[in-house]
Amino acid sequence: MKVKGFLKDIGGASRVTKMRREMIQAASPVPDPKDPIRELADALHPGRQTFVVTQVRDASPTSRTYRFEPASNDDGTKSHIPAFQAGQYATFFLQIGDSLVSRAYTISSAPYEAQGETPFFEITIRRNVSYFVPDWFFENVHTGCRVDAALPHGTFYYEPLRDARKIVALAGGSGITPFVSMAREIAHGTLPVDLTILYGSVKADDIVCGETLAAAEEACAALHAEDPSYEGRLKVVHVMSDDPSWKGERGFITRELIEKYSEGDTTYMFCGPLAMYRAVSASMDAMGVTLRRFRHDVMAQPSNVKQIPGFPEEQIGQVYRLTVVRGIQEDVIEARADEPVAVAIERAGILIDTRCRGGECGFCRSQLLSGRIFVSPLGDGRRQMDKEMGWFHACSAYPVSDLKVKIPIL
Amino acid sequence: MAFYKEHYEVVIIGGGLAGMACALQLQLKGVKDILILEKHNLPGGLATSYVRDGIEIEATLHEMMSIGSKKDRLKVGAFFDEAGVSIDWLKVPEAYRFIQTTDGIDITLHAGFGRMSMEIDAQYPGWGKKVLEFMDLCNTVYDSMNTLSVTPMSKVQMLLQHPEFVKTAGYTAQEVMATFGFPKEVEEILTPYWIYVGNPMSTLPFTIYAFLMADYFRGGSYVCRGFSHEMSMKMQARVEENGAQFELRQEVDKILVRDGRVYGVRTKRGDEIHADYVVSGAYPNKVYTQMIEPLSEVPEGAVKHVNGRRLSVCPVSVMMVLEGTPEQLGIKDYNIFSGNTMDTDEIWKDLHTTGPYRFLTSICLNLANPGCTPEGYTQFSITTLPLVDGFLDLKESEYFDFKRRLADQMISEYEQTTGVHLREHIVEIEVETPVTVSHYVGAWKGSIYGYSHSIDDHAVARLQMKEEDHFIEGLEFAGAHAISGNGMGPAVTNGRAAAKAILEDLERRDKAAQKEAKGGADR
Repeated sequence: MKVKGFLKDIGGASRVTKMRREMIQAASPVPDPKDPIRELADALHPGRQTFVVTQVRDASPTSRTYRFEPASNDDGTKSHIPAFQAGQYATFFLQIGDSLVSRAYTISSAPYEAQGETPFFEITIRRNVSYFVPDWFFENVHTGCRVDAALPHGTFYYEPLRDARKIVALAGGSGITPFVSMAREIAHGTLPVDLTILYGSVKADDIVCGETLAAAEEACAALHAEDPSYEGRLKVVHVMSDDPSWKGERGFITRELIEKYSEGDTTYMFCGPLAMYRAVSASMDAMGVTLRRFRHDVMAQPSNVKQIPGFPEEQIGQVYRLTVVRGIQEDVIEARADEPVAVAIERAGILIDTRCRGGECGFCRSQLLSGRIFVSPLGDGRRQMDKEMGWFHACSAYPVSDLKVKIPIL
Repeated sequence: MAFYKEHYEVVIIGGGLAGMACALQLQLKGVKDILILEKHNLPGGLATSYVRDGIEIEATLHEMMSIGSKKDRLKVGAFFDEAGVSIDWLKVPEAYRFIQTTDGIDITLHAGFGRMSMEIDAQYPGWGKKVLEFMDLCNTVYDSMNTLSVTPMSKVQMLLQHPEFVKTAGYTAQEVMATFGFPKEVEEILTPYWIYVGNPMSTLPFTIYAFLMADYFRGGSYVCRGFSHEMSMKMQARVEENGAQFELRQEVDKILVRDGRVYGVRTKRGDEIHADYVVSGAYPNKVYTQMIEPLSEVPEGAVKHVNGRRLSVCPVSVMMVLEGTPEQLGIKDYNIFSGNTMDTDEIWKDLHTTGPYRFLTSICLNLANPGCTPEGYTQFSITTLPLVDGFLDLKESEYFDFKRRLADQMISEYEQTTGVHLREHIVEIEVETPVTVSHYVGAWKGSIYGYSHSIDDHAVARLQMKEEDHFIEGLEFAGAHAISGNGMGPAVTNGRAAAKAILEDLERRDKAAQKEAKGGADR
């Protein structure tokens, strides 16, 4: 084409219009409603579904493992356990009395077990002292029960593009569960990492999933006999803080202990109670371990608000008026200053979608229309503009005055 | 318990940029009774961000076009000003650095036609003047596009007042560029933005290419201080201040139609909400094959319309937070387009597969927005925009490994091209695919760019065929799938166009009603 030719051409618009019209007219008149990408997205993120409990077993004198399998729905469909990664969690939606409650529990079974002929996933719940939801699980959830849950959530898993192949897990109490999942996956030969678990308990009786961990270690030893690359694949070191008869490691998981079991480039993964996190975090700083090599799981907000840095303690015991706006509907309920806004809403039997309960995931993102809140600095996952424009995560914010908040209609 | 009124004047499906721009435009013209229903728990659709371990990560925006400086506002910037949406825009330092390894091309261009032509002249002496001429042509076509999209005129008027626009309208970017006789290297240097309209140069209308080049090189581009989430939040806040109801987490399942006209929607939750107008952010493919209730209200022409058009690209983006400042990491450029070829037909072949991908776009957000990470970290992304074809058979069980393989390949490619090391500094990494897009915004097959901007689906033809592409009364579309196509700037324009169509229809119906009333009085 020459410059001159193109400058003389004034019929272009008509020509391309004709071209487009012809293309559309020649198209098939048969509707094509199939969207395989959405089907895959829905399979990976099925949202809230119903599962059936098929097994309940003791995981220690004070903890139980619950197994869930897909349940048949009224419409003839069956729920589906999506692919997940060892370390992720499931959120359960429970009706306890008049409250609608959700709680997150790490999946303690292995990803491969959800892909077998009888797919299942498990969670392990500990009740060493009386707590609202663990109590309810222990007393009300039995084989055959149907329970609603959504999975998977969370980013606490081995990421080969980032993490060292050598992982030292630092676990306390029921914080062992993500590592139980990892250990089972390693023993199955489908998670190519070298995992050393430093597991802190008070005394031997408190060890959660001890038998499962021992079985995974044995399976790895058996694999090692056939395949030398399985050397050191899985090692569980129990550390007792208050058990004089314990023959192994004793005391707390200190810097010295961590260094004793570390070698070369290592990723540290922590899951356990807040006090232990603070100690481990200080050890990491002292060891010069940066954010890249120190991963920690989501921590639920402590039920004792005094543990939250900066919590306005004079507020404890106060009760405020909370106006909950959903669409054009407004409900006025009571809210305690020492409980998150989400808990007040759940107590009133109003549906609110929370998943992590630790401020991070953002599912319970809500709008503050008026009043003042205290936001826990622990796991504060709000976006910058959300902070500036009054949006907050209801699982981790506490009323400091009467409030008016808007939440999604569920 | 009622969460909604029984009836709204306008229901907007999707609180993305287009949906919110539509609401703002309607509100400017006095339409206030609006309900926006958004599937996700955030406004803005793809204009969003997420947080990992306390660090906020931009999800999509590379550079916002059509904003302009405060003194020389371009179309979208001017609209935000008019609508009272005040965003803290930060100017992106350069247009792009372009690295093509086979021929050893490595050049950085900045905004300003004079400046960029000098930068090309410095490496390819003697060609600056010609580049400037070429950019002037782009700019003339750009101005014409902006005028013509709001001012209807006759063909004769158009020819007299916008001759360059008329004369180039039937040609591809490649054809028009060829008339300038540039050496191959200069042509390649002027090509990288093609990917932001997702169509190879050989079938990309020059009109679209010219719009892109003139807009980016004239006004420069911008990002928001508070990530693209800032734009979304401020639009939502304004829309609500103006009296609209905005509900998050509400996926619309059905659009209710009777006798060829919409009368409402039904949400997945089961709420039936009536409306005079419905604006759909959902793709026509989904609307005409799944959402219209009853489906018998969908004319055959609508089905042919979606079957005849080709979906444009979808994203694969590797988003990272790195330990170290950009300086410590040796990252000097905000935006790099790189590859071993700039033959867009060749690259297009790669983009029909699941990789390896050779043509990549990388962005270091800190270099436009230094406050985007805590001190000592860098926010960095690598993106490619393939067609969905290669992803259609992907299995659930392979998905995690698949994402990692894509990311691994793209990181290696980038490291080899630039000599910058990323791998040993990664703190956070997430990989976005079409599946991610589908999950969060529900876009058809994870598309982000609507329909292909190819010569046989030319924006000029779309404008000409506006009436015949309209199948159901009271139903408008606002999103990348609408006339102006993809990108966050065009999303705003598409939303405004949907509002204008509603306003015109309202006016027509008003006049008809007046006429009838008058006729009644006469009787």
